[in-house]
Amino acid sequence: MSTRTRLRTQERRQAQQAALVRRSKRRRILVSVGALVIAALVAAITVAVVQAAGHERTLLDANGAVVAPQHLTHTGAIAVGRADAPVTVEIYYDYMCPACGAFEKANGGELDQLVADGVARIELRPIAFLDEQSSGTEYSTRSANAFAAVADAAPDRVWDFHTALYEQQPAEGSEGLSDEQIAKIAADAGVPADVVDGFTDDTFRPWVASVTREAFDSGVQGTPTVKINGEAFEGNVYAVGPLTKAIKSAADDR
Amino acid sequence: MTTTMAPALTEPGSSPLHRLRHHNTTVWVTMLIASVASLVASFVLSIDAIALAANPSADLGCNINAVISCGTVGTSWQASLLGFPNAFLGLMFEAAVITLAVASLGGVRFPRWFMLSAQAVYTIALLFAYWLFEQAMFEIGALCPWCLLVTLATTLVFFELTYVNIRDDNLLLPRRLQNALTGFVQSNLDIMLVVAWLLVLVLSVVLKYGDALFA
Repeated sequence: MSTRTRLRTQERRQAQQAALVRRSKRRRILVSVGALVIAALVAAITVAVVQAAGHERTLLDANGAVVAPQHLTHTGAIAVGRADAPVTVEIYYDYMCPACGAFEKANGGELDQLVADGVARIELRPIAFLDEQSSGTEYSTRSANAFAAVADAAPDRVWDFHTALYEQQPAEGSEGLSDEQIAKIAADAGVPADVVDGFTDDTFRPWVASVTREAFDSGVQGTPTVKINGEAFEGNVYAVGPLTKAIKSAADDR
Repeated sequence: MTTTMAPALTEPGSSPLHRLRHHNTTVWVTMLIASVASLVASFVLSIDAIALAANPSADLGCNINAVISCGTVGTSWQASLLGFPNAFLGLMFEAAVITLAVASLGGVRFPRWFMLSAQAVYTIALLFAYWLFEQAMFEIGALCPWCLLVTLATTLVFFELTYVNIRDDNLLLPRRLQNALTGFVQSNLDIMLVVAWLLVLVLSVVLKYGDALFA
């Protein structure tokens, strides 16, 4: 082997060595980058979990209790109408429930009149059991939370807001109304801006959950459930007339 | 003979952890565990599917809240894409994966055409699993724990199967690509990629449903 070939072999070996070193260096850098990415993801997950858990805690008061809206009746309902009205009409409903929408369509105007005449006082119990019917947006809870916020800070706008929410009721299984749409409906119903801005604080979410639990514990099986002076109304709630008649006859009995 | 291929991706002087990770037994045992998990999940989901067929509002054990709900996912059209519950596919195919893993642990070497077909079929399975995950997450708006287990297990089986096929050069790839992939696997970048990917999934679930999950 001549000196020249030996030199060339040596050069080639050195070049291979250098390439190997370069390659292993590049891999080490890639591995470090990978480790950093993984560490960052773990950190992000931790932060997200802590925030989610903390978010829930801020919804409870200092004693860890559920924050209920002000102005509730002693039985925990949101009342519309005169306290001395002879008939109390309790309604359990979910803003996502199509049957409740049909009920509202048939009886909303009638109830309006009965309240105005001082015949009936309506006790509203918004429950949220159809959250899984809004593609993950929990429309039932969001709308009921907004409703509770109105009852808390603008009790005279409750009925208008309630009616407007049903007038623009989203289809079951859709994403429901967005937070912005709910805010607009509230503003149009005369709810003050500062109250509307508070909807997304989710203050009353735990309260909505507790009302829902209590409703089912008390034997409510679906919505709408209507009770006249504490007695379940078994008539047709989707037609104009039967409910009005039952309320009027209950008033006459007093 | 089970260890003949194992040293291919380990260099002399590599750490015990590195050697364990690239050991043939580790690879197939991981695949075996993942495929058994997937089979169990498919079995539970099949039973749920029958319960839901009899009574669409059946109370399933995993209907925990609005977000974690097998019932919501199980009654969606996506859950029976081919006209029968998707879980039946798991019952059919995971048994084959278990057989593959057990036979390989026992020392059987499958021909290249077999491994290549397995890779092709399992790639379709992986795409299907992720389509379902995406649909559950963003269209249906609910997660079911057994479905998530299938997503995880499918990912792991796909990962190990691909690992074996890169290691054994079964994929008929151009030389440059094959060499690059071998280097990628040798540096354990593949396992980092999978871990990072699974963490991304966890993060997306927590970001979207954290409030409901940790209530």
